[in-house]
Amino acid sequence: MNINIRKNIVSVALSVIITIIISFLLLLILKKDPVQIYSLMLKDIFASGYGIGQTLFKTTPLILLGCGLALCFHASIFNIGAEGQLNAGSFVIGIVLYYLSPLPAFFAVPVSIIAGMLVSSLFGIIPALIKIKKGVSEVITTIMLNFVVLGLINYFLLRFFAVKATMHSEKINDSFMFPKLSVYSDIFQGSTVNISIILALITAVCCYIVIYKTKYGYKLRAIGFNPTASKYIGVDVSKIIFSSFTIGAALTAFAGVNFILGYKGYYEFGFSNNIGFTAIAVTLLAKNNPIGIIFSAFLFGILDYGGLVVNEIVPKEIMLVVQGVIILAIFSVDKIVKNYYLKKG
Amino acid sequence: MDFLIQIFSFAFLAQVLRFCTPYYLAANSANFSERSGVINIAVEGFMISSAFSFALISVLTGNWFFALIFSVIVNLVLGCLFALFTVRLKIDQIVVGVGFNLLMAGLSKFLLVYIFGTSSATPGFNGIPHIPFIDSIPYLGKVLSDYIVLFSFVLIFLANHILFKTRFGLRLRSAGENPEAAESLGVKVRKYRFYALLISCFLSALAGIWLVSNQNSYSDGMIAGRGFIGLAAMIIGKWKPGKIFIACLMFSFFEALEISLQLSGSNIPSQLIQILPYLITILVLIGFIGKTKPPAADGVPY
Repeated sequence: MNINIRKNIVSVALSVIITIIISFLLLLILKKDPVQIYSLMLKDIFASGYGIGQTLFKTTPLILLGCGLALCFHASIFNIGAEGQLNAGSFVIGIVLYYLSPLPAFFAVPVSIIAGMLVSSLFGIIPALIKIKKGVSEVITTIMLNFVVLGLINYFLLRFFAVKATMHSEKINDSFMFPKLSVYSDIFQGSTVNISIILALITAVCCYIVIYKTKYGYKLRAIGFNPTASKYIGVDVSKIIFSSFTIGAALTAFAGVNFILGYKGYYEFGFSNNIGFTAIAVTLLAKNNPIGIIFSAFLFGILDYGGLVVNEIVPKEIMLVVQGVIILAIFSVDKIVKNYYLKKG
Repeated sequence: MDFLIQIFSFAFLAQVLRFCTPYYLAANSANFSERSGVINIAVEGFMISSAFSFALISVLTGNWFFALIFSVIVNLVLGCLFALFTVRLKIDQIVVGVGFNLLMAGLSKFLLVYIFGTSSATPGFNGIPHIPFIDSIPYLGKVLSDYIVLFSFVLIFLANHILFKTRFGLRLRSAGENPEAAESLGVKVRKYRFYALLISCFLSALAGIWLVSNQNSYSDGMIAGRGFIGLAAMIIGKWKPGKIFIACLMFSFFEALEISLQLSGSNIPSQLIQILPYLITILVLIGFIGKTKPPAADGVPY
């Protein structure tokens, strides 16, 4: 097996194990039984189609966001703005769908998604241009844009679009809604998982092909390795950074597709609940590999839904702690593994 | 006109000076760290950790002094951890920052529910008392009698002195400008980055403590991006303590204005005022308002 792949698998597995150990210790300090909590969580998730369905529902946006971020991360663009980008796109999807209510679904749905993607991508284009033209790191600009976007949405939503005394927009036409998987199979009875998960899987495969099997992906990864060298072998660095940032941001709008078209039927302020940041952890754990992202997103889906399951024994917020630990664990383990292989030669 | 007089009063000015404190402490926290070459976007997370630990001990013991000491120690320990990841293991500083922010937000949420059984706020407690007598001066009393506010005023000169007038400051900056050259001249770059991070964590601890002590309770999400505004102020202030203070005054002016507008029932939307600091920062970064130049080796592991 390729040494790089082996290194990656070793370090990912180790970091997951370390995270589990740390969470065990934390639970023991709090005088809770970690074995009972984890077994309850796994039993509840995997014993029923409903549990799996709910987990997949939580997994869906993480896959889509992860793919968007992977495109950026491969080119060494540290896009922390997914939270803002996904909200901008989702907001627009919700509003456009509401105003297109009288039209048939085959027209309204694609139009709204395209509109959402355009708006999401706008918030990738801005930091991309600032980076290319002014050489300003995208980290600060995307952090700042997150606040700007959320503030603007809050204003426009409450001022013009929200249902009175709520934080959500008007409900869209029922005929627009994506079919739930329970329509096709009784296993998922009652679960909100919908065909967006298929969309997410297709996106992941496409992203994998783009990143690893095309000339574009080759250039993308070359920039990530060494921007100066890629420039000298004739890669248009600015063009690649611009396009990957834009496409990556556009993909974040799909998180809203899952929520609006697949679940609630309206845009709700705060629906994203920081998945834009969780997705960073998902992507990093998968080493920016879209196929890996499917699995790491599923792992985070388990943590997310599992938190709800064990909420009676231990507050579900424990899973947020686990997510934070996992990011730090991956990178420390990565360094240590790298040093180990370096010593071994 | 009435409306303007009501807003731009002495009380309003005092408000601006007070609100400036957490921004200024956060901005200096970020600045010390960046001057030594470590990008610290976890200021937000460090403010959360200190605010929560202060509230925790305050509620449990009712003693603000214990709470203050505990909260600072918690932050220094976290600072050591941050240094372990960024300086010792040389992990990407942004990644560590994002990880810390997630971890602190999650941990505080979790402990809030676990210890206090609520996801919103801790029970109330008495914050750090104000200096007596000075307290009763009209308008400015609240500003001049607050230890942390006073410290932040002193910090304008202190930070400037430490960074630009002492041997320690020179070495710290050399670690952030050209670590290889510094090391070749015998400066222990890693050691100085470690010290800088400890100072950074101490200052962000004070920022968090001031907020929670003035609110007399910790509520989830109360830091509300102030750590990031601190980062913004640092950029706009061009990594210089004096200029940073002016940038912070501008941001605290917006905050005070927003509150006054809300109280006066004006129809100017507060959300749009809230996003101004972030918008201004982006404009400054683009170069509309002067050029900015970070320390040369900012973010480069050594």
